[in-house]
Amino acid sequence: MEVKIEKGPGAAAAKVTLQAGEVLTAESGAMIAMSDDLSVETTTHKKNSRGIMKAIKRAISGESFFMNHFTAGPQGGTVYLGSTLPGDMFTYELNGDKLIVQAGSYVGSAHDVNVEFNWQGFKSLFSGESAFWLGVSGKGTVILNSFGAIYSVEVDGDYIVDTGHIVAFQETLNFSIGTAGSSWINSYFGGEGLICRFRGKGTVWCQSHNDNAFGSALTPSLKTR
Amino acid sequence: MEINLTGKPAFTYVNVDLQPGETIIAEADAMASMAAGISILAKTNGGIIAGLVKKFVGGESFFVNHFTNNSNKVQRLVLTQPTPGDMKVMELNDQSYCLQGGSYIACTSGIKLGVKWAGFASLIGGEGLFKLQASGTGQLIFGAYGALIEKDVDGEYIVDTSHLVGYEPHMKLKTQLSGGIFSSFFGGEGLVTRVEGKGKIIIQSRSVSGLTAWLNRYF
Repeated sequence: MEVKIEKGPGAAAAKVTLQAGEVLTAESGAMIAMSDDLSVETTTHKKNSRGIMKAIKRAISGESFFMNHFTAGPQGGTVYLGSTLPGDMFTYELNGDKLIVQAGSYVGSAHDVNVEFNWQGFKSLFSGESAFWLGVSGKGTVILNSFGAIYSVEVDGDYIVDTGHIVAFQETLNFSIGTAGSSWINSYFGGEGLICRFRGKGTVWCQSHNDNAFGSALTPSLKTR
Repeated sequence: MEINLTGKPAFTYVNVDLQPGETIIAEADAMASMAAGISILAKTNGGIIAGLVKKFVGGESFFVNHFTNNSNKVQRLVLTQPTPGDMKVMELNDQSYCLQGGSYIACTSGIKLGVKWAGFASLIGGEGLFKLQASGTGQLIFGAYGALIEKDVDGEYIVDTSHLVGYEPHMKLKTQLSGGIFSSFFGGEGLVTRVEGKGKIIIQSRSVSGLTAWLNRYF
């Protein structure tokens, strides 16, 4: 499986080239176009494994309940994957390690990658928009998207990210929810609210824009009929 | 302090490298991420009265955040805006510049954000009774939805009401119909802003109200 990100950063699409018999798993609705001899199977779980609970958990976490599995025919084939909002994509090669991904940033992955709901404990409930996370682990390529541009930060020590700007982070990092200012009052009035404080050594990928902030900017002048 | 705009023009964001002890002031919720050696202090936007005026009539926040590097090495702060689009860093040297509500992102500590009476014509044009004016010496960062277009005006120039981002303080804004009664209401332009005077104006190539008006047709 070979993944090429095209047309980034404004409106990125992932071109996935599959060898004969290879399987790509993608979030439902992510497919833009594909070769005609690919077979598509929609399941609530990883292909060839049971797990309705995993699907329920995934649905709770803001991702789709269903996953699509694209299997290439004898000639191989290509699949293009997109996302709803304008923005960039990137790929990460898992090699036995694990990424924690903000629900909504997951686009697709190689068949040998496990995608599961990741309960980050009660701190998740207080993290505002990003209450749920996916854990991706195993071996193979993962495709992730962002609203806006993506920048990565190599954390060594402490680093602070606004909750709406996290795309993914390596599991080697610990995170805690805290206030942005020196006190709760300061933080509340300052409008930064709650932030994630990463601690340890690893990479965190951030998105330049916050989809919730954009939504809030539009809401005042949207009308319901 | 080093201010760099990245991701231009579609998804512009700001990298601010603060030297030890340096402070930058930013709009509430502008912070995307930052090094842990930076502290945040919320302060009223130029005093309680001015802050209230700015919030309720200027379309800005009551509080702004002061980001200070308390460590002994350079620390990076990343700032952004809610909408996709471009940003501009403007150098003010004991000068003023007027911004439309919502476009202010950040400024260095030598710049004060104030409100000035803009007149009733401004209210009818949907721009509000007061205008936001940044004054002082330092760097001012503001942004827009879409691209930014700079235009030197000498005399008069007409801008669609929701597309004006910034103008020089001595310039006058007047609201008027875009054409005759018929073309104003059926031509889709409605009210426009007539900018009078000599100076630089900044226009955004898209407007949030244009996007929401389009979206509203589908609800």
